[in-house]
Amino acid sequence: MNDFYINGAGVISPQKTYDDQTFLSEITEYADNVLTCVLPNFKDYIHPFQLRRLSRMLRIGLAAAVICLRQAQVQTPDAIITSTGSGFQDDTAKFLSEILTQDEQQLTPTFFMQSTYNAMAGLIALSVRCRGYNNTHVGRGFAFESALDDAMMLLHERNAQNVLVGSFDEVSPVQYNQYARMGYFKKESVCNLDLFDTQTSGTLQGEGTAFFVLSSAPEPHTLCRLRNVRMVYKPTDYRELANALDDYLSQNQLEHADIDVFINGISGDNARDHWNMAIRQDRMKSATEVRFKHLTGEYATASSFALWLGAMILKTQQIPDAVLVKPAVLPATMNTVLICNHFLSRNYSFMLLERATTSC
Amino acid sequence: MSRRVFITGYGVISAIGRNAAENYQSLIQKKSGFGRLDVLTTVHRDTIFACEVKQTDHNLCDMAGVSISEGYTRTALLALIALREAIGSASLTENDVSDCGFISATTAGGIRELETHYDDLQNPQKTGDFLAYLDTADPGEHTERLADLFQMRRYIGTVSTACSSSTNAIMLGARLIANRVVDRIICGGSEALSKVTINGFNTLMILDKGHCRPFDENRNGLNLGEGAAYLVLESDEILKQSRRSGIAELRGYANVNDAFHQTASSPDGAGAYTAMEQALAMSGLGVADIDYINAHGTGTGNNDLAEGLAIKTLFGHQPPPFSSTKPYTGHTTSAAGGVEAVFCMMALQHDTLFPNLNFMEPMKEVGIKPVTEVRQQAGLKNILSNSFGFGGGATTLLFSKCL
Amino acid sequence: MTPTIEELIPQLKAQIIDCLNIEGMDPQELDADMPLFGDVTGLDSIDALELVLLLDKQYGIKITDSKKARKIMVNIRTIAEYIQENAKP
Repeated sequence: MNDFYINGAGVISPQKTYDDQTFLSEITEYADNVLTCVLPNFKDYIHPFQLRRLSRMLRIGLAAAVICLRQAQVQTPDAIITSTGSGFQDDTAKFLSEILTQDEQQLTPTFFMQSTYNAMAGLIALSVRCRGYNNTHVGRGFAFESALDDAMMLLHERNAQNVLVGSFDEVSPVQYNQYARMGYFKKESVCNLDLFDTQTSGTLQGEGTAFFVLSSAPEPHTLCRLRNVRMVYKPTDYRELANALDDYLSQNQLEHADIDVFINGISGDNARDHWNMAIRQDRMKSATEVRFKHLTGEYATASSFALWLGAMILKTQQIPDAVLVKPAVLPATMNTVLICNHFLSRNYSFMLLERATTSC
Repeated sequence: MSRRVFITGYGVISAIGRNAAENYQSLIQKKSGFGRLDVLTTVHRDTIFACEVKQTDHNLCDMAGVSISEGYTRTALLALIALREAIGSASLTENDVSDCGFISATTAGGIRELETHYDDLQNPQKTGDFLAYLDTADPGEHTERLADLFQMRRYIGTVSTACSSSTNAIMLGARLIANRVVDRIICGGSEALSKVTINGFNTLMILDKGHCRPFDENRNGLNLGEGAAYLVLESDEILKQSRRSGIAELRGYANVNDAFHQTASSPDGAGAYTAMEQALAMSGLGVADIDYINAHGTGTGNNDLAEGLAIKTLFGHQPPPFSSTKPYTGHTTSAAGGVEAVFCMMALQHDTLFPNLNFMEPMKEVGIKPVTEVRQQAGLKNILSNSFGFGGGATTLLFSKCL
Repeated sequence: MTPTIEELIPQLKAQIIDCLNIEGMDPQELDADMPLFGDVTGLDSIDALELVLLLDKQYGIKITDSKKARKIMVNIRTIAEYIQENAKP
């Protein structure tokens, strides 16, 4: 398989991440179990005339895509692939409420148009004049991983050199009410920074968007190398998940001890985090552990934040205090990062990142 | 070396039939599914007609072999019925199926159930049968549901690119086989009608209140439809091993974007042209080798003009026979590419072309005429299937008959 | 009493600017006789759909045919004229 390089990233999340001058040095606290994005000034990235019609989610996603392309120094990518678990929940809810309260009369067309899952990929294509491959993956906790797989295949097929691949998901009361009923969210009020100290089931609602330029060739500004992705759907027991990890690592000619940094996608949910914790205990003991969902909350495409985090750790050779699990021993150099995410213990995924050698 | 991809089975449910055989009979008898909405509850029932699957959710549950209390959305039920037929048609064993990848497409997902139970689902105090529909609104839900039912855990995915969704699901499946991620994969899509879809398209003012007339000078918009369709895709290697043969080879595909407008196609048909041209280039075939085009042909002013111009530019004044089958099934949006790919399989197997109903007068700007009568012994070898969508997407598939 | 065309035009301009969220545009800048859609204004067919909704909500005028909508929405004056003929109090 070819080499894949992350040559740019643009991330808007419940932390200040849109600005690549800092790396999680200012941390935002949330007290009410719902984490929402820290927003940039959209006019820095989007033409005001274009802004007028765009929903909040579309603004956030387009701005992240623009940040990413600027960082990668790519004007027009060869392909655009987006992913979302729940799509434009806000516009969907607005359109639905109009239908129900106004008896299907006098409805706003823009709400409908902007609630289509591929509205983001279409908007970005229009904005950056990308006439190439365009796709949107919406498979819940695998949406982002599927998008990455799609992007890697395109590069492998030599149908693209630079692929813009990203994720977006937004918080929504409609989803909150349903997830709360199903026990996916915590019943008690929890400050996000204390998420991993809780001993209860459920997690916090989060959101975010992350875009990457994935390329077949490295650049001086390359963040890191992406080896590949593995998805494990509803493993029947822990053994199946652990075996899948062993198989994944050996496919990449790696041993457990080769992993320098283990990004653990636990969500502070004591009913659903067991297997990730077990992997840390039995297989990733020697790696430095990093966690992130206390900063982002949980959402279907949260693994995209982990990918950015891993890429930044490899690029800067630093681990921000806010994500480091203590006590910790920091390796002198960090060359290999393993991300192990789970979404509601249904969708498990592994991603391997490597430090891009300076000679490239 | 990338591998060749063959279609070995299919299943379909639409307004013109509960299975492939019924759909075929309707196609050759020129029987359309267009009419009043009887199953979906909407205030527009007497003004907006569509192509509805005339089965209640209870009936669909009986056909699918599941209970209504299990909380299958209508999109999932339609999908399950078509999926079962596809599996049977490819003669896959239970083990074969559990080793299959599965890529499904939808835009509606469980929106119909969300709109039906919206207030109840929001009310933590309320209990009742509606609770079966908790967390079923998103598009990925039906994929996981069906993957769970058939134990398909090898590679699952959901695609949503509006009206080209299923086509992109099929193309993705083919690439997963070509890239050796899977050997066998079931791809397609499902879409149930809902208030959101009916009202959404209505606000865009692209619904024909009468029966749609694709490629006609006096066309006045599209008719919506619902349905599901799945195809079984297998690698050449696995077919050789199991000594089975395919119906057709998926020999070319292309997905491009015309980056022109949020909802409209570029009026010169640039996206449609490039998609067809690239699919042809991949297959190594020339324009003269194409025997039929199953057009996207929605019946809107914009789509048919763009697609018609693209066909004329690529193929010249005398293009191969082409038709839109949407006057039969309505525009089943996300499912359309799957439904039409299945119709392409039937066309190849029966060597028959299906007509473009309601066509009277060619578009002034283009002047080309679709097939208007059933044509048997059509000599079909290579056919194209087009799908375009909101967001500027254009995807074309090229199928070649297995001899 | 039905307003005159000249009374309707400024009112309509303000409503259009509000409805289409054209930040920072002064109603004076929007000429009643210049083409409302296209390169000059940057407004497109989605804006036209929003204006169809505006006419329904503000003036009780229902337009269901897109060809008819296109005829009415050439410029602000043509819209005003149509409102004057068809508005329901």
